[in-house]
Amino acid sequence: MPYISHLLNSKVRDSSEAIIGKLDDILVKATPGDYAPVSFLAIRLKNNPDLVYIPYAFVETLSKEEVSLNALFSKIQPTPVKEEEWICLRRNVLDQQIVDLSGARVVRVNDLRIGEFNGHMSVLGIDVGIKGLLRRLGLSWLGLERILAGNLIDWRHAQLVHNKGIQLNLAAKSLTKLHPADLANILESLSLRHGSGLVQALDAKDAAKVLEEVDPHLQKILVKYLGPEQAASILANMSTDEVVDLMKMLPKEEARLFLNRIQKGKVKKLENLFLYEDDTAGGLMTLDYLAFSPEKTVGEAIAEIKRASPSLRSIVYIYIVDTSNVFLGSVSMRWLLISDNDIKLGDLLKNYPISSTLSPEDDVEEIMNVMTKYDLYTAVVLDESKKLLGVVTIDDVMRLLAPKA
Amino acid sequence: MMLCGYLPLKLSMKDFFRRYWVKALFFFSVVGPGIISANADNDAGGITTYSVVGAHFGTKMLWVLLLITFSLAITQEMGVRIGLVTRQGLGGLIREHFGVRWTAFAMLALLVANLGTITAEFAGIAASFSIFDIGKYWSVPLAALSVWFVLYKGSFKTTQKIFLIFSAFYIVYIINGFIVEPDFVQAAKDMVTPTIEWTAPFLLTMIALIGTTITPWGQFFIQSYVVDKGLNIKHYRAEKGEVFLGAFITDIVSFFIIISTAATLYKHGVRIENAADAALALRPLAGDMAQYLFAFGLFSASMLGAFILPVATAYAFCEAFGWESGFNTTWENGKTFYSIILIAIILPALIVLIPKVSLIKIMVWSQDINGILLPFILIFVMKIINNKKIMGEHVNKLVGNIISWATIIGIIIATITLVVASFAGVF
Repeated sequence: MPYISHLLNSKVRDSSEAIIGKLDDILVKATPGDYAPVSFLAIRLKNNPDLVYIPYAFVETLSKEEVSLNALFSKIQPTPVKEEEWICLRRNVLDQQIVDLSGARVVRVNDLRIGEFNGHMSVLGIDVGIKGLLRRLGLSWLGLERILAGNLIDWRHAQLVHNKGIQLNLAAKSLTKLHPADLANILESLSLRHGSGLVQALDAKDAAKVLEEVDPHLQKILVKYLGPEQAASILANMSTDEVVDLMKMLPKEEARLFLNRIQKGKVKKLENLFLYEDDTAGGLMTLDYLAFSPEKTVGEAIAEIKRASPSLRSIVYIYIVDTSNVFLGSVSMRWLLISDNDIKLGDLLKNYPISSTLSPEDDVEEIMNVMTKYDLYTAVVLDESKKLLGVVTIDDVMRLLAPKA
Repeated sequence: MMLCGYLPLKLSMKDFFRRYWVKALFFFSVVGPGIISANADNDAGGITTYSVVGAHFGTKMLWVLLLITFSLAITQEMGVRIGLVTRQGLGGLIREHFGVRWTAFAMLALLVANLGTITAEFAGIAASFSIFDIGKYWSVPLAALSVWFVLYKGSFKTTQKIFLIFSAFYIVYIINGFIVEPDFVQAAKDMVTPTIEWTAPFLLTMIALIGTTITPWGQFFIQSYVVDKGLNIKHYRAEKGEVFLGAFITDIVSFFIIISTAATLYKHGVRIENAADAALALRPLAGDMAQYLFAFGLFSASMLGAFILPVATAYAFCEAFGWESGFNTTWENGKTFYSIILIAIILPALIVLIPKVSLIKIMVWSQDINGILLPFILIFVMKIINNKKIMGEHVNKLVGNIISWATIIGIIIATITLVVASFAGVF
């Protein structure tokens, strides 16, 4: 089975053994999740700068030793081809960055392995190792092949991120199978050009999940790159505290441009969060939580959780407040699950120690102390009159403690 | 049910300052790259080469300095523009547009040039410690260790800032330049009258002068910098002004180093054989302290380069060849990245430790290597910046092309002449 580095620039002969030109590129069809079949050979004719495209049906052999056609060149009607509709292996894949889905990492294509699969000549693998590099450089004679480990990625587990529309949409589809955190890491190692293209191709919801995981500096760059128009729908899908952190990094006027595009109700919430310092309970808390009156029953609460679930990142507790929003206590999912449907939420409440709640000015140290002491996954933030302001969840604290992860 | 809480409205002074601070940061983020890159240009190789230029040839080479100020401004501006438009580093761009062979070629050129420069930095460290009678067998391994330690464990950014601030030391050359009462008329005259001696020493020093001012790594550095900062083409005008200013400031400093050494060492026929000789130029300003002042300046300039260059080299290689990079990758995944950094620290340190090598010669000759390799990198830059497919409407204008090609051809001619002249000298 040949590598594309063996094939490119080799002489192409027709059935009369006459050399008609040199192999310039190989065009394959994009087939997500499958080996891409070779569709055309792009051939640079002798004494003619233009490329001709020969359908693969006319190819006799495609090997390291020989590239030949099964008919007389004069008898073959070259097909007009729009290169944009195909993947050109040399021009679009070789030397470009791709995403290795199985390893969730970004690599550069050093060489491509081509071979028969189910009777079709197809691209089978991507060489991303030193071996491929040496082969491309014509240094295989060094004999390092035996020492070096090969590094071949299955074509089906690779995703192109080239700037072409169709491919990006395909990319977006297969990439969403990855965990948002892995996808964020990939975004960080792609060139900015490809990375921002990728974010644009994802739908707003997925893009929001990924963007939340990306490091703040890149977040800022990407959002600025997308501009208010496109970023608005992504921002609207991000949790409020993340949006606030992001907006805080932008100059005031710019932040306003972005906020203007987000729906009214959400903006109101956002503006409130702007008031607090970053590393305090107020700055860390989220406003995306569920609060209920003590008069509601367990059944009603569960129905509401089901309805609101898609728009909330996580639900570990629900919070019980009176009509003027004074915090009465919290109920865990576990209690909801094991209680009868007609029990009132108010009856599930236990007295909570006031020292297990936070005030907005509390710093990270204080937050950690409270959470550790009372074994909390989430801690509520209350104002002086015990009104519920927001909730700090453990993942926001963890992010502060391990910013590099 | 209620989805969210209610909040009292309060506006604090803190809030106001935070906004203001963000603005100030934004300002600095734009002001950064040109000045930093230009400042880092005056590293160990820089100070030494400029000193040698002035000490051995007086003000005769000032016309070269004037011309390459324009070259520096234009080449750095091109790097900024490519970075702003493509939002990609030079290594990645070369790989994607010229294929793997040209990439290997460009990277080899960069590697050799950078290893040369890092060697110069360690030589600078050795030379500055030698002023305090501390031998290089102590200072160099210690410096190499601390560079690795800070890169691996510490904060690269903070360290970079500290040494950047230290490098404000160059101001002493400007003050000194006035105290020595140099012949400004002669200097101005030399600046506009090209004089050239067709001898190997003159050409060697001249190429070093070019190579220390415009460097291959500087070209990679400035482009990566604007990409990493997330700047885009909106910032072009501000960036351009900043880069031009940076080029101007660097060469003002270079001008005064040359003037200072010309008015002191050249006048008395002192040739620079070691750091102590070069330090003599600061005597008019600092008196007996000149030695220590010079040692301090040389040391911090060298350390700055010794920090930036191994990392810059590793990033460029990893980008071009697709290896994982960055200090938050694990040893297993980032093997190549860390190996390149280690090699780029250890190998140069070992070269400096060879007994009896002349530290001054290392510092000057490494700049020659940079100068000789520079045209190759610049040709890639020219091919990229004139490619409409890559740059769109931001391709080079005629003036930019003329100055860049003149620089490239000028260096090539000088190099060829140097080779011919040194052979002619031998026979």
